[in-house]
Amino acid sequence: MVIALTLMIAAGLINYAHRRLGGQALRGEQMQLVPADAPPGASASPSPAGTAASEDAYTTPLNGQQAPNFTLQNLQGQNVSLASFKGHPVIVDFWATWCGPCKMEIPWLEQLQQQYAGQGLQIIGINADDLDKDDPAKLFTEKREIGDFASEMHINYPVLLDADAIANAWGGVDALPTTFFIDRNGRIVASTVGLAPRDEIVSDIRKAMTGGAAS
Amino acid sequence: MRILVPALAAVAFLSGGFGSPLQKLPWQTSGSASPNAPMVRFLYPQQVQVRSGKPYTVEMHFRISKGLHINSHTPLQKSLIRTDLNASAPAGVKVAAVQFPAGTLYAFPAFPSQKLSVYTGEIVVAMRIVAQPGNHLIQGSLRYQACDLNTCFPPRNVPVAVDVVAQ
Repeated sequence: MVIALTLMIAAGLINYAHRRLGGQALRGEQMQLVPADAPPGASASPSPAGTAASEDAYTTPLNGQQAPNFTLQNLQGQNVSLASFKGHPVIVDFWATWCGPCKMEIPWLEQLQQQYAGQGLQIIGINADDLDKDDPAKLFTEKREIGDFASEMHINYPVLLDADAIANAWGGVDALPTTFFIDRNGRIVASTVGLAPRDEIVSDIRKAMTGGAAS
Repeated sequence: MRILVPALAAVAFLSGGFGSPLQKLPWQTSGSASPNAPMVRFLYPQQVQVRSGKPYTVEMHFRISKGLHINSHTPLQKSLIRTDLNASAPAGVKVAAVQFPAGTLYAFPAFPSQKLSVYTGEIVVAMRIVAQPGNHLIQGSLRYQACDLNTCFPPRNVPVAVDVVAQ
């Protein structure tokens, strides 16, 4: 009995280690930087150590908690509240126009928004670009540039402005992309900091869709 | 005299983007690199000896943490935040020019046409000055925006101070 239990635990640990290594390899493949004049398949990242901020550096304490509500303006100047999406599985994705990994993640989110729309999924992008709120002319330009960027990226979900206004409530979001997965009851069931493998995002979406009772 | 380099950076010193950059994130664990750890350090010089009235180039050395890259002074995409020097020179020092190194070009395989011009490792920013006799303190900061392969961090400033002894 004890031997069988020990073997089961050992097998579980080995399986976890393999999955973890697989995930890390996938991340490296996705986000490799290569010299601009290198032939296809070349590998010479300027960040040879991979990620400076190890994935082990983050485990969000918000997991399992109710998502903090917010009301922010969208690109059209209308107020949008997280609470208005209660009953839906929601992804809250913090991103910025200057964030390269965000540009890799956004097309995945667009596809996933389309793929899971029928099951009620709602993605919300929260932009973290600086806004000069005291300078109307600059603010206008900044909002227009964010809107232009969203258009160029063909973002098909709401983009809200001013992440700074809610960052503290969401754990001090200080690295991008940071993505939260929320179930139909408004509970955060998963989160990622930095670009996660697409498979992990899909898995987290499924957690959000199954984590609360359907409305 | 206050000098904002280049183009007089209408941008004031940024506190470091959104959130609270100096505040430890609640989910950070010790022992790992973190978003709040120094990403770029000013190495040297702390002091330079120059001949008064003669042009002198102060070579300011910075170290970018392993695993990170920052945009160069001339990023190739409009949305990217360039590395810039915002320096304040005292009376008696004239800053003639500031020169940044060229960036190295990289690209993500998924976006081969969108090249990045970035700095890694150690970089040298050269400030050409002419100083009057006396001791002068040049103060300022290097503004940068860093990323690793999966994550980007809000813009930061690393302080710079160089004592200029002109004789």
